[in-house]
Amino acid sequence: MKNILFSFSLLAACLFAFSSCKKEKSTNPEPAPGPTYYALGSAYANGLHAQLFSDTALQTGYHRLYISLSDSATGAAVNEAQVSVMPLMNMGTMTHAAPFENPASTTAVDQYFPAAVVFTMPGSSSQWSVQVTVLKDGVPAVMSFPVNVDPYSPERVRSFVSAADGASYFVALLQPKKPIVGVNDLELAVYKKQSMMSFPADSSLTISNTPEMPSMGHGSPGNIDPVHTGRGHYKGKVNFTMTGLWRLNLGFTAPEGPADSTTYFEISF
Amino acid sequence: MQAAAIAAACEKYSIMKQLLFLLLFGATLAARAQTTDSAANMPQVALHEVRVHTTGKSQHQKLFSYFKTNEAATTEDILSRMPSLSLVRRGSFGQEPIIRSFSASQTTLLLDGMRIQGACTDRMDPATIYTEPMNLEGITVQTNGNTLLGASVGGTLNLKLAQAYCGCESPEFSGSFSSGYQSNAHAFYEALSLNYATAKFGIRATGSYRKSQDYRDGHNETVRFSGFEKFNYSLAGIASLGKDWLLKGHFIADDGWHIGYPALPMDVGYAYARIGSLGLMRHRHDAAWEHLELKVYANRIVHYMDDTRRPDVAMHMDMPGQSTTLGAFAEGRRRIGANQQLNLRADVSDTRLKASMTMYDEGQPPMFMLTWPDNRQLRGGLAVQYQWQPDSLTTLQASVRGDVHAFSLQTQQAKDQVSVINDGSEPIPYFIPTASLTATRRLFPRLAATWSASIGGRTPTASELYGFYLFSRFDGFDYLGQTNLKPEQSLQTELTLQWIQKKWQASGTAYISSVSHYLTGVYDPSLSVMTPGARGVKRYENLDNALLYGLEGSFIWQPFTNTSLVSTLKYNYGQDEAGHALPLIPPFRNVTSLTQRFGRFGFTAEFEGALAQNRVNEAAAERPTPGFAIAHLRASYAWTKDGTALRISGGVENIGNAWYYEHLDWGGIPRPGRNFYALLSVGF
Repeated sequence: MKNILFSFSLLAACLFAFSSCKKEKSTNPEPAPGPTYYALGSAYANGLHAQLFSDTALQTGYHRLYISLSDSATGAAVNEAQVSVMPLMNMGTMTHAAPFENPASTTAVDQYFPAAVVFTMPGSSSQWSVQVTVLKDGVPAVMSFPVNVDPYSPERVRSFVSAADGASYFVALLQPKKPIVGVNDLELAVYKKQSMMSFPADSSLTISNTPEMPSMGHGSPGNIDPVHTGRGHYKGKVNFTMTGLWRLNLGFTAPEGPADSTTYFEISF
Repeated sequence: MQAAAIAAACEKYSIMKQLLFLLLFGATLAARAQTTDSAANMPQVALHEVRVHTTGKSQHQKLFSYFKTNEAATTEDILSRMPSLSLVRRGSFGQEPIIRSFSASQTTLLLDGMRIQGACTDRMDPATIYTEPMNLEGITVQTNGNTLLGASVGGTLNLKLAQAYCGCESPEFSGSFSSGYQSNAHAFYEALSLNYATAKFGIRATGSYRKSQDYRDGHNETVRFSGFEKFNYSLAGIASLGKDWLLKGHFIADDGWHIGYPALPMDVGYAYARIGSLGLMRHRHDAAWEHLELKVYANRIVHYMDDTRRPDVAMHMDMPGQSTTLGAFAEGRRRIGANQQLNLRADVSDTRLKASMTMYDEGQPPMFMLTWPDNRQLRGGLAVQYQWQPDSLTTLQASVRGDVHAFSLQTQQAKDQVSVINDGSEPIPYFIPTASLTATRRLFPRLAATWSASIGGRTPTASELYGFYLFSRFDGFDYLGQTNLKPEQSLQTELTLQWIQKKWQASGTAYISSVSHYLTGVYDPSLSVMTPGARGVKRYENLDNALLYGLEGSFIWQPFTNTSLVSTLKYNYGQDEAGHALPLIPPFRNVTSLTQRFGRFGFTAEFEGALAQNRVNEAAAERPTPGFAIAHLRASYAWTKDGTALRISGGVENIGNAWYYEHLDWGGIPRPGRNFYALLSVGF
């Protein structure tokens, strides 16, 4: 009898301990753990401390970049600013830029300003840099982040010269990142090269996609060609019927006529 | 009836001796068409003399050695001689039984009432290959829509397993051993069967081994990849639980290796089947419910296709498949008065299938896909059969059955993959109602007629729902499943006339069946082939209608006591809604067998032949098949003394060494040429 009583009291104590624990958590929440980004560097300018992040170490291709800002004196987060990015490739005799996307809003999302850059070629941190310009209260602050860009295989950025207008276009493959046997999201971003420093997003093209397994010579059914959804992004569906090496054969048509039919991406899984 | 036979056999020691003796001798095949019991219109063959006690000796003796050409015959050999069956042949082993000209998916194949599903996407392993004739007690073919056992469009084939027996006054040990050789394929057959029985308990163990090299055709050329090797063993037990109830257990294991399929681009590396059941049975003639049976069962098949032995394989591929079925059924038969009878059956089963393919191209990642995305078929059915004999000349029988099927995909991987070819929707549950009405009447003293009409139905198969680029060597197309298929339905009627004289009897059946929502592959030019060299991709679709009809006949003549002639013929015709021939329709075919006994010696001369089939399905690139005629000679000597029996048999098949193939043989692969065989059996 005594034993049973003891057991019960122990049980009650345990239950109490657990329940009190829970209560504590719900009343004093810890700040939500932020996404675990890959740190690319930090820099100071004009009383601002900027940190640059990406999802993974940089390789050729389309990367989302995240910029967090704080007051360098107080450490207080800065959530309102106009942030812009500019990727720069220093090739010694010349410098060129690459396609990019600036944060869509002047308000940070969970304390980060999301941007994106298409790294069009591999390069060391003495060659590639991302220049971040912050305009806050009318005062511009410019910070430069040298970054290392490794080659990625198979290629996720392709370029072609349009047969329609003679201009160069860059095409980045965004999705599928984790391909499955089944229906996959297909997302491409297309940029037109206006100059060495200017690669605006292009929304004028019609894209067709014909997936193929080169070693088998077969395709897949039910694909949906990507269509423009905004900021140069084209979204569709690509279907894989088995694992292995697939090739997405792309066709681009400009309003004036066929632009290119030689560009392809390879996906291996 | 089986139970009655077993019970009868168990009651008397002497009868049992006789049973074993006859069982061994293979003088054991009886056509059931002549019996007067409830299944009068259900064609059956009994493989063991157990039948003698229920059917009387007169008719089956005339069919002696007809169905089972020799002691080493495979289950397939026996099936191929039954008038309403044909076999689709892809190799010398693993032939697929079809009823009339219905496809295997349109018929239901049961093993002792149990569902069993082959694990091969290419249908290399119909469940019949996992049994040996020595494990079989009888084979039942239901063609007339009698749906007690299962719903189907074309009919039901049930292989009844041989049971252990008990109820002997003193413990009883018996057994048999057989050893055989066939010259054409250098094939060996060894089989052993042992029985032990006491008053309360019985056990039966069998084992058989077959090994066959590649056979040679009528031009003496070796047909490569036609050999096989196979081991089958079984254990059956029976125990008496008190006065009425019997507990039965059965286990079969069948292991095959390197089973060659010359008509296919791949062979079977190995195929393992494990089939088990546990049942409770009560049989009492004096009870209202004279037969009650409950059975739970499980079976699993692992099947591995392999091309490593083939030369010039552009790309090596592995194709494993697995099938697992759990199920249970309950059966009861009740007599109502002297001339009415009620049969009830409830059954459930749960089948899970999966199969995949991995292709290896040098320097590239392996290419993997699910050919049968992991899927499950849950099924439940209820059947009622009522039989009434208003007078001594007439029997009426009505049966209804309802089946509910639910198919589902089991893994996210399977769902992802199927969403490529379908919109991701799961098939809705199927309800399959079936019904039949049969009337048998003796119109004249020597003429009996049986007429039946039925409504049949079936769900699409897993291949038809989910099959993913399943290549068919038959027409050279890749097949894609479709989840929104309707069930197939059939309206069928058949008429059997039977004329019985003292020395001869003739029977003929005509059937006509109209199948609506006929399921078939339809070429879709928008899809690109997956299999290198395939002619295109077909998707399963419901067509409006197909019409199938045909004739079957048998003639038995016994001019003298020791002489008998058996002749069977079959003819089938099929057309789709546009009047085009359906594929794989067997042509007119005849087998005639003349047996003469002289004391312990028996001699059989046999003719087997078919007319040409020129009505072919052009969409499937089916080609006409020439006719053929071949002859066999068989002889046997039987000797028995003091409960030990010896039988020596031998013969020559395809005497003229004819080069031929049949219309249902895929790829026109020639059949074996001349073959000598010899077999020795000892029983104790």
